[in-house]
Amino acid sequence: MATYLLRRLLLGCVTLVAITVVVYGLARNMPGNPLTAQLGEDPSRRITAEDYARMQRAYGLDQSWPEGYLQWAQNLLRGDLGRSITRKQPVTTLIGERLGPTLLISGTAFLLIWLAAVPLGLYASARSGRPDERIVSLMLYALYSFPTFVAALFLQVVFAVWSRGTAWELPLFGMTDLPPDAPLGGRILDVARHMVLPVICQTYVSLAYDIRFIRANMEEAVRQDYIRTARAKGAGPWRVLFHHAFRNTLIPLVTLLGLSLPSLIGGSIIIEQIFTWPGMGRLFFESIRERDYPTIMGLTLMFSVLTLLGQLLADLLYCLVDPRVSVD
Amino acid sequence: MPIFSRPTNRRDIVGRICLTVWMAAAIALPGCSRPASEPPLVAERESPSDQAATSPPPPVTEQPAFAPPPLADLDRDAKWIDRPVKDALALLREQQAKETVACSVAEALALTNDSAAANAKILSALGRLPDDGQADLEARLDRHVAGDLGSTNPILISSAAEFDILGLTGFGLFSYDRFLEPFANAETVVSWQTSADGLYDKVVLRDDLVWNDGEPITAHDIAFTYRVIMDPRVPVPAVRSGTDQMRSVHAYDGRTVVFFHKEPLATNVWNVNFPVLPKHVYEKTWEEDPTLKDSAEHVKLEEKPVSGGPYEILSRKRGQEIVLRRRANWSTVKGRKVREEPYFKDIRFRIIEDPNTALLALKSGEIDEMVLQPEQWTTQTVDDAFGRLNTKATAPEWVSFHFAWNIGSPFFADRRVRRAMSYAFDHDRMLEKICLGMYEPCAGNYPPDSWMAGPKKLVPYKQDLDTAEALLDEAGWTDHDNDGIRDKEIDGRLVPFEFTVLVNQQPFRIAICTLLKENLEQIGVIANVRPVEVTTLQEMMQKKSFQACFSGWGSGTDPDSSENIWKTGEMRNYCGYSNPEVDRLFTEGRRELDRGRRAEKYARIQEMLYEDQPYTWLFWRNSFYGFSKQLRGYVFSPRGPYHYSPGAGSLWKPRAE
Repeated sequence: MATYLLRRLLLGCVTLVAITVVVYGLARNMPGNPLTAQLGEDPSRRITAEDYARMQRAYGLDQSWPEGYLQWAQNLLRGDLGRSITRKQPVTTLIGERLGPTLLISGTAFLLIWLAAVPLGLYASARSGRPDERIVSLMLYALYSFPTFVAALFLQVVFAVWSRGTAWELPLFGMTDLPPDAPLGGRILDVARHMVLPVICQTYVSLAYDIRFIRANMEEAVRQDYIRTARAKGAGPWRVLFHHAFRNTLIPLVTLLGLSLPSLIGGSIIIEQIFTWPGMGRLFFESIRERDYPTIMGLTLMFSVLTLLGQLLADLLYCLVDPRVSVD
Repeated sequence: MPIFSRPTNRRDIVGRICLTVWMAAAIALPGCSRPASEPPLVAERESPSDQAATSPPPPVTEQPAFAPPPLADLDRDAKWIDRPVKDALALLREQQAKETVACSVAEALALTNDSAAANAKILSALGRLPDDGQADLEARLDRHVAGDLGSTNPILISSAAEFDILGLTGFGLFSYDRFLEPFANAETVVSWQTSADGLYDKVVLRDDLVWNDGEPITAHDIAFTYRVIMDPRVPVPAVRSGTDQMRSVHAYDGRTVVFFHKEPLATNVWNVNFPVLPKHVYEKTWEEDPTLKDSAEHVKLEEKPVSGGPYEILSRKRGQEIVLRRRANWSTVKGRKVREEPYFKDIRFRIIEDPNTALLALKSGEIDEMVLQPEQWTTQTVDDAFGRLNTKATAPEWVSFHFAWNIGSPFFADRRVRRAMSYAFDHDRMLEKICLGMYEPCAGNYPPDSWMAGPKKLVPYKQDLDTAEALLDEAGWTDHDNDGIRDKEIDGRLVPFEFTVLVNQQPFRIAICTLLKENLEQIGVIANVRPVEVTTLQEMMQKKSFQACFSGWGSGTDPDSSENIWKTGEMRNYCGYSNPEVDRLFTEGRRELDRGRRAEKYARIQEMLYEDQPYTWLFWRNSFYGFSKQLRGYVFSPRGPYHYSPGAGSLWKPRAE
């Protein structure tokens, strides 16, 4: 086990270096740089060639990209992710500020998705082909194909505009309306109310997908010989479903869970943009638009680490859910 | 009751930077009008001689050492000319007093803004300043801003949101009114004088100015800020162009500052206009951390900057909102009321990036104002859901759009070809069908009603395919191989007239380029429309790696701000345009101090550009705003309703009946 872990970690480090080199190279070779983005189209914000060169030096843009990468990597080894060019803050602080709000939405959505997806998936497979299952499946299809940005706008109009002044009213955007010195209980409630609409938007598409995923796996499992054997031995339908079929669909499910880990902190650009939620998705999107290389790299590093960890976790969980799998 | 315009001078700061034009100031100031019996509210830190003797050598700067002459010598030789010192709100009030109000407030609020007449009535009735006691001074204004701040340091800012905040929290000496005429701000300045030879500006500050931490604001802060801005180690993104035209800035005492210019330029009036840092805060931290952002002290200052304007930052939730609170020690210093209070106690900037969410927030009363997208103006703000709480207004802005032709490409080197492009384009269809009749046609570099455009009005191009074809024939672009596409032999090779027009990804802009493509097809020219991401587009233009592109410029307040677009070899001369006479006229225009003669030079430049058509000018864009029905006092300038003085400072809400 220890050898396996060590091997995976070493492999992970190599992968990480490869990812960061490629992303850094791509980012630095995208047309434009932070100065291009900052100066924009206003002719009055003019800058002389000397000043431009001075600013390039100040931001380290006069270095070639391999030099820049080495500099970034050296700083990283010292625990320094650098400072955002456009936001004038350390990248670690920026990420730290955005991590909490991102996890609030994605963590809640993640929990809701899995709490609902497993029973609904099992229900769909148990009732396969019946009218009620058909209706549920149809609804899931509809939800899955319903664009988030339309749903978000629709929810905003219904709950924030039409329901204004009623008990159903929910905040239109933002994370909180209360000042930082408001009572803790009130602030928690306020944030929870602000979370409702973004969480719904974040949840429904994945929920529809995951239910169908579980159902599809179950459909395959229930056709296996051992299910027929279990039934022949007199096991009840729910026992067959849970004990015999569902346990055998856990491997793909664990893979899916492992791959979900990075998305937990990746945030959603669209939802965060629409609801003005100060999350990671917006930060990543903005930093690419602004060519804010230190922020792009800080976020890339974090996403890469989590992806690798998620895969490792999934591999380790395989052993747990399937005794036939062994890391040795 | 005299009303002082707070948001004014900070707006100015915004302006200054924005316009990149800086003001010159010189003043003689002998008599600041403080009664002799009263002690000064602000202690003067050093006597002139002390200052001259003790001023530390400047840190690493690119400026050559400069020894300022004694003030007495300057006063003796300069032949000072008084320059305007105005209170922006009082000025606006005077101007409004001469205007006829088109209808009552109630009538204006009942109007749907669906015509030019309705728009004029709304602006006339709701744009007025309050009478005494009419404004609710405890009110809060909820403003919309589309992005968070990158920095709160006045000299590091560059985005629109940062300029908006700085307009309310920053300290400055100069400003300009809604007609973009510069003046020194009476809230901060006693006098402003310029030497007869145009080489010096002297400003005497008021003695009742304090930063929000209670320290006095003095002339030394201004001289110090100049040194910081000119320090090559400080990554100043926008403020330096302008200050670099000066030789030095010197504080002779706590209230007297003189700006020394390298040359007597018309643009000196803008060059002196830069944001001001508190010397007592930055003089040590600057040397320790010239980036002004890395050290722990500077990180702390980013969160809670020391403010010299009428507002200070009360709280900030990153990515969500910035709340400003009216400063008590702006209007009352040492127990004495020295300025009127700004109209709002709090101003909350709510960050909403998504325009649809912002519009819903306006409709539901969560914000009091926002910039409307053209399609929001025409289709999403015409119903009762909008009209219940809000109204809207529009006015022309000095922002124009064009197709730029890269003169370095084989297609557009010949001006006959560029003119053919302008004749081929269906301007009327664009204005009616794509711009929905909301914009005025644009014929040239300067707004037709501006002083720099001159008396001769340029006639906007109209589609004339016959002329376009004749010009192309004349330039040698004919269909030699009968394949339906014009071509020309270049370097022994038959080159078909097929080029790419770059545009950013906005559907509105793409539609205009697509219309160009359709029009050109009719005369045997192929234009491929290629939408690209905005920063990529910017980069491609800078590197001149394009053939044609759709783009736009905001005009500065001074015609000289377009020099870097048209002068040979300048950074923003993306077309590669070169005309020695235009170069000469820009140089002369900057040196000419008489406005009439200046105007002649810029009008001539515009005429030559019109003849050469390096751009096909398309339209002047309007600004569109949605306002809460609770809000009053919005007055538009060519830079919108906020970016001048008093600008946002004239907004107010009436007291509850």
